[in-house]
Amino acid sequence: MERYLQIEKVNLKYNVPLHILICVLLLLVSPLLMGVENLKAEDTAKVLEVYAALMGIILLPPVFLPEQDRDIRDLVYTKRMNGGSVYMVRLLGNVLILAALLGVYVGILLHNGCEFPAGKYFLGTFAEMLFMGGLGLCFYGLCDNLVIGYMAPIVYYIAALGGGPRRLGVFYPFSMMKGSYTEKAWLAAGALALAGAGILFRCRRK
Amino acid sequence: MSTTIKIRNLNQYYGKKQALKDISLTIETGMFGLLGRNGAGKTTLMKVIATLLLRSEGEVFVCERSTQNPKRVREIVGYLPQDFSMYPNMTVYEAMDYLGVLSGLGKAERRERIPRLLEKVNLNNDRRKKVKALSGGMKRRLGIAQAILHDPKVLIVDEPTAGLDPEERVRFRNLLCEIAENRIVILSTHIVGDIEATCEDIAVLDEGSMLYRGTVSDLIAMTEGKVYSAEISKRELEILKKDYVVTSMLTLGNNVMARFLAEERPFESAKLCEAGVEDAYMYLMQTGRGR
Amino acid sequence: MAAQLFLKECKQTARSLVYWLIILALLFNFTTQLGDMEIDKKPEPGQKSYGKMKSRDSELNMKSTLGKLTEEYWRESYTTYPIGFYKHVTLNEADDKKIGGILNEAAGIGSHEAAEKAVEAWYAAQKESKGLGSEDDPVYMEPLQVEPAEGLSAGRYAELMDEADKILGGGSNYTKENRENGVEIPMTYEDALAQYDMLIEKDRLTGGYARLFADYMVIFLGILPVFLSVTRGLRDRRSMMQELIYTRRCSSFTIMASRYLAMVAMLTIPALILSLVPLSKCMVYARTAGIAVDMLAFVKYVFGWLVPTIMAVTGVGMFFTELTDTAAAVLVQGVWWFTAVFCGMDSLRGGSYGWNLVPRHNTNMNWQGFNDGFSQLLANRIVYAAAGLVLMALTAFIYTQKRKGRLQIRGKIFANRKGKSEV
Repeated sequence: MERYLQIEKVNLKYNVPLHILICVLLLLVSPLLMGVENLKAEDTAKVLEVYAALMGIILLPPVFLPEQDRDIRDLVYTKRMNGGSVYMVRLLGNVLILAALLGVYVGILLHNGCEFPAGKYFLGTFAEMLFMGGLGLCFYGLCDNLVIGYMAPIVYYIAALGGGPRRLGVFYPFSMMKGSYTEKAWLAAGALALAGAGILFRCRRK
Repeated sequence: MSTTIKIRNLNQYYGKKQALKDISLTIETGMFGLLGRNGAGKTTLMKVIATLLLRSEGEVFVCERSTQNPKRVREIVGYLPQDFSMYPNMTVYEAMDYLGVLSGLGKAERRERIPRLLEKVNLNNDRRKKVKALSGGMKRRLGIAQAILHDPKVLIVDEPTAGLDPEERVRFRNLLCEIAENRIVILSTHIVGDIEATCEDIAVLDEGSMLYRGTVSDLIAMTEGKVYSAEISKRELEILKKDYVVTSMLTLGNNVMARFLAEERPFESAKLCEAGVEDAYMYLMQTGRGR
Repeated sequence: MAAQLFLKECKQTARSLVYWLIILALLFNFTTQLGDMEIDKKPEPGQKSYGKMKSRDSELNMKSTLGKLTEEYWRESYTTYPIGFYKHVTLNEADDKKIGGILNEAAGIGSHEAAEKAVEAWYAAQKESKGLGSEDDPVYMEPLQVEPAEGLSAGRYAELMDEADKILGGGSNYTKENRENGVEIPMTYEDALAQYDMLIEKDRLTGGYARLFADYMVIFLGILPVFLSVTRGLRDRRSMMQELIYTRRCSSFTIMASRYLAMVAMLTIPALILSLVPLSKCMVYARTAGIAVDMLAFVKYVFGWLVPTIMAVTGVGMFFTELTDTAAAVLVQGVWWFTAVFCGMDSLRGGSYGWNLVPRHNTNMNWQGFNDGFSQLLANRIVYAAAGLVLMALTAFIYTQKRKGRLQIRGKIFANRKGKSEV
């Protein structure tokens, strides 16, 4: 257990501070851009699904970044703990950070008098975040290219904005805005599959 | 245009850290060896000559062209860094062709020269191989080929033999000697054997200062009469190491044949030996540090 | 040297994975958005509906705008969309008084009580004339209209509304854009025919569809190029080729310009190819309808509308990648794209292009709006094309510095300073 904590400690110290800072900034500037007070449920859903969920793209794909350099990767993979567990620990750490950030934000929205089912919306947004992050991880792992890891979820996001639920079906990310919740279960399942596939691809790559 | 590199009072800083201290040096045609420990400033000096670093103080002229005008120097300098590679998905030929264009070579020139150079470094059969499929030694040879692609007057190679197997290393040294016939080839290394085999002219750097400048034979001459060998027990070896610099050892059963440096014969059984470059280098590093 | 380098860079782009993924994304966007596009038929008399259009009746627009202000002032609650997201604004006492003053000057309504009266009177009158309706057949209530104060000049009206918008923090119903486009009225047969005629005569059919095509493509091209240029920028470092290139005699400007132009060209090609699909649809329709189309319309719009965006975005990618040696440009462009797209949401129909990186015109019609906003659009596009070139030149400058050993963020000095241990 101690070893896993150590990995996460290093992750927190070296890898993610900047990404967390960007996420915090993203949330901090939101009142300047949009209403975050006294919103109705659909408007709250928009803020969460279209805006706050972007944190998933920022925070999850860089999980593979420290071993981008091939030599470092070889070095790490020869250690006793396998690469997969290192990624898992880091991923879990980042997921928890995401949950915390989102939780605080949902809390603020509630405090500001927005009317919405907080638990449900939290989970729904969380699922969407993880799906977008997972998409990034999957493509990053597959193509060994961080930029593609960012590109995949961004393209998905734009497609959702432009194409609507028509093309994305059960994987439509902004469903709560339209009062539907079943998509969120699909997103959560998809997130698991994608993140798992990403780590698998990554570990297979030499 | 004379093929000479003139360096006068060169100082180089990284922030507050001084990487080169008042280096003055003239280098003529042929192989020139730069020796020193890791971090002695060899790479920094080479980078200054190759215009990868703008000099902080002093003057550097490559064939009468100042490095303050990088473009003019780049025309006549070829450089092979310590760590390098090329776009992995390009073939050997494509990579050469790409770098050839960047060196301003015309199409006809490239078509004529690239196969010839690949032949020279023994890569012509691998010209369609992807760069990512090359072995370490092949990559080095490709590195040399790209560095002399534009027929430079000066070739700078940083630690070229590190990581090569003995066979490749010998082949590589020979290649460099061949190239050095009508050029300046500056070679940095911390492997003394490389210098012994190839260079007559050397400079030794230590912590940014020039410790020695001259020929290999003069360096060896300095050490003449200071190299001894003795067959001693392993326990005695530990004591010997405390007082003297041991330059090499050969294990003989329970005993050790040790080769070491001493100003005068330390004990009866010690035999005076003929000095080699390795001994001379060790001697220099020891005295140079004022120990 | 530059031309050969350009060709080599094009080849390199064509062999990079990210380039093909970008094409895939463009293709996906195209097929989902424009794949089933059909050419509008000439309107026939007696159709049930001809769609809606923005009112161009300035008096009606003014009355409606003042009506909205009266109603929001009465509710003491304002709706704004600063960047396309809903924002609810409640004013403090001082600002509330200012709005009251504005409304008083513009429409003679000086207090909350007067506003309430106006609102109640309006809806009472509507109920009277239209009846209450039933659940199956609800009555449509016209939104409140308020007569302007006597002697209110158009200039003063505009000033007052601008001020109100400023007090509300922007994106309100009272911006110039919303004042002029805030009222939708049903189109008559004549209106529809006039629009169609405009499409055929002024746009020669293809112009309108080329604009629609550009509108859909520009959204994606407002961000995708950054992925290509960031990948290209990082490739030298990743494949440890930097120093081999640094020591070549080729100038930094030539290296960067050839890369830049190659990427811009390679990103333009898919747009050009995709435009052949709507072009062919237009041509098929034009043959049956006997219209002489402008064959080059799509080419014009690709170069005039899309390429400046490609240039700017590619420039951002190159610049920040060379400056930071990281993928930071993705974040920068992501933020820019996000604000641009959401700010453009309230001018989808075109005409008010402003300085948006992704100017919108989400219809094959509205030639008039395009024509009115043309000089603004032209200025916009020139600025972004120029910005792209400037960014490219700046990148070359940074590159020159790096070749001399300056600005080496990931160099030995910095690397030694940072903790290098990473599990």
